[in-house]
Amino acid sequence: MVIFGTLSQYAALAFSLGTMVCLLLGVMRNDARWTQAGRRCLVSVTACTTLASIALGYLFLSDSFQVEYVASYSDRALPIFYKLTAFWAGQKGSLLVWAWVLALCSALVVYNNRREPDSRLTPYVYLVLGGTLSFFLYLLCAVTSPFEALAFTPQDGQGLNPMLQNPGMVFHPPTLFLGYIGFTIPFAYAIAAMVTGTTDASWIKKTRAWNVLSWIFLTVGIILGCQWAYVELGWGGYWAWDPVENASFIPWLVSTAFIHTAIIQERRGIMKVWNMVLILLTFLLCIFGTYLVRSGVLQSVHDFGATGLGGYFLAFLGIATVGGVYLLAESYGEFKTSNALESYLSRESTFLFNNVILLALAFATLLGTIFPLISEAVTGNKITVGQPFFNQVNTPLFLLLLAITGVCPLIGWRKASPANLRKNFLRPALSALATGGALFAAGVRVPSALLAFILAAFVAGTIVQEYVLVVLSRGAVTGEATWSAAPRLLWRMRRRYGGHLVHLGLVLTVVGITGSSAYKIEAQGTLAKGESLGIGTYELKYEDFRQYQKFNRTVYAATLGISKGGTRLGALDAERRYYVNAKQPTTEVSLRSTLWEDLYVTMPGIGSNGDITLKVAVNPLLLWFWIGGGLMVVGGVLAIIPPRKRKTP
Amino acid sequence: MKKSTRKALAGVLVIAAGVGFLIYRGIATTSAYYLTVAELTGAVAGPRVAEGDYVRVGGEVVDGTIDYDQKDLVLRFALRDLEGSEQTVAVRYDGPKPDAFAPDIEVLAEGTFARAEGLFRAQNLLVKCPSKYQSEQEK
Repeated sequence: MVIFGTLSQYAALAFSLGTMVCLLLGVMRNDARWTQAGRRCLVSVTACTTLASIALGYLFLSDSFQVEYVASYSDRALPIFYKLTAFWAGQKGSLLVWAWVLALCSALVVYNNRREPDSRLTPYVYLVLGGTLSFFLYLLCAVTSPFEALAFTPQDGQGLNPMLQNPGMVFHPPTLFLGYIGFTIPFAYAIAAMVTGTTDASWIKKTRAWNVLSWIFLTVGIILGCQWAYVELGWGGYWAWDPVENASFIPWLVSTAFIHTAIIQERRGIMKVWNMVLILLTFLLCIFGTYLVRSGVLQSVHDFGATGLGGYFLAFLGIATVGGVYLLAESYGEFKTSNALESYLSRESTFLFNNVILLALAFATLLGTIFPLISEAVTGNKITVGQPFFNQVNTPLFLLLLAITGVCPLIGWRKASPANLRKNFLRPALSALATGGALFAAGVRVPSALLAFILAAFVAGTIVQEYVLVVLSRGAVTGEATWSAAPRLLWRMRRRYGGHLVHLGLVLTVVGITGSSAYKIEAQGTLAKGESLGIGTYELKYEDFRQYQKFNRTVYAATLGISKGGTRLGALDAERRYYVNAKQPTTEVSLRSTLWEDLYVTMPGIGSNGDITLKVAVNPLLLWFWIGGGLMVVGGVLAIIPPRKRKTP
Repeated sequence: MKKSTRKALAGVLVIAAGVGFLIYRGIATTSAYYLTVAELTGAVAGPRVAEGDYVRVGGEVVDGTIDYDQKDLVLRFALRDLEGSEQTVAVRYDGPKPDAFAPDIEVLAEGTFARAEGLFRAQNLLVKCPSKYQSEQEK
């Protein structure tokens, strides 16, 4: 199996290099036979990477510890589900997943283009895909192969870090990868459009689904990462502006900007160069993010070990950047548009401002992340900026972005009239003011929190108003009942309302972030059996202590009775676990979530006399962060469900 | 250039200036030096840090120095220099011991250094979370 896997990898590399050679010959000699051969090579890469992945999966399932990678990330006691997912627990397997998924996506692109064999764009698209695949496959074959064997066969593997034995963590890396990888395809199309001088929006139309899909995966990946940090790391938060978190957040911001301006190019034919820049940036930032994580240049809580891959990624990044910029400069003249903005009070210009803010967020986050590197290069000392920097800089920008999200749907395309503005703004503005007044009366005094809630109400107001008006006017025209018209319209105009749902999701995440950051309370205490700890309106009573075995771990659990204002709500188990093969106990987080607030409990200490030490937090409104994230994903999915095919006569 | 384009451009410039100011102020008020243990103790010349300045220090946890009070959640340990010098510094952190905290592991401590006591008071402790970990049997 080891040999089979290694050979499959080499074959995949050979085919991906073959793809490049054939296509280069094809476009230089303008010979369709070569391009066809290139296309076949590309599909063969898919087959070979699939075989290699199956081989590695088999090695994990069969406990083949003679393979170094398997021995490092798995052991006999590991549940079978985690044995499979240990596949991408480390770098080597991650790279294989990367190459495999990119190859699958490439095959899908080939399949989608099966009816247009002689399109001018596709050879170049396949060329870029083949090039990117060659890079990853070269790393796999020559630098860091997952099939590397040890000189001996250990009795057992080292096992999987208990922190990674969590369902959220299992799906977090692959979804992020899918997001990163997906952007390769729009990137390839953009390069192809520049090389061939195809100035229309066809590359945008063709790659729209890829863009949104990649964005969805990136979103899911980031949310799962937050979820994992929240329930597994036990410090009570979900986002720390860690370099690795930022590495995924920056491409997310730029791709969000791109999705918006792509709409403008489709509708109005402007911003062509700008879109090229954005898609290049998105792809480069995806690679750069991988580089940050994989090179060990920055101090981060995630340490994947400096494995010497950084240089390779930098080289790839350099080639892609130089190539992209060169092509952009070459084709700039052809892509320039005469269609300028007609009015600064138009939907186009709100999109433009949304882009400026998103890019400012991305820039500030990037700068803060790599600041130690910059300062060292300039002054010789490493100067770091911490969480406060990101919070100070990004919070006002985010609030501005939220305001634009609300304003945008209220303003018409091309030019808005004052009358239409007054009419559209009245209700949302009133709802925002009412919300602000009510919150102020209820005692919300933190200015930034108050502002965030007011803006959230405003945006939610605009979205609801727009939808209600459309449903009502439809009803007036067709006589259809509201209850049936509402969902039908949502479905019929899903591209538009999918977008609105994403915005609504954004509003809810803002509510969750604001509540949990501005109004969090924490407490800690040591309790003997029978004693209680109070936090906010909660009372936690230490009732019982148990110890038991489960799968590959020993669990120590303290039962806590929870009451609020004197009424008992139920019990919660605080746990510490000792995994087989682990030196350290792991703290488990116990949660009691309601729509109103989360009660968050960890047990960092167990005394020899049976006393327990608890660390407790109350995070108001946090559940809305996850609900909002989920809604963003649902909206995204809704927006890319393709329209029903019309029968062409 | 049309009037509306000029207006839009002016708006973009205003925003860019605002962002620039935000970033500048953010850096000015929140930046902290990253020091090695040897730079902190003064064995090696490093950036000039005033007493009580918030700094970050990176090092390795010295085996046998970990003293964790489970009851009051106070963690004391010594950090060894990463660059191979023999310098160590005592650290006190008030909070729960992170799961991944262990001897010889790399730690990033944020806080202030009291030179007179030779004690680094950490307000934040970042532990590298290794995706790989060595099992007991390998010793």
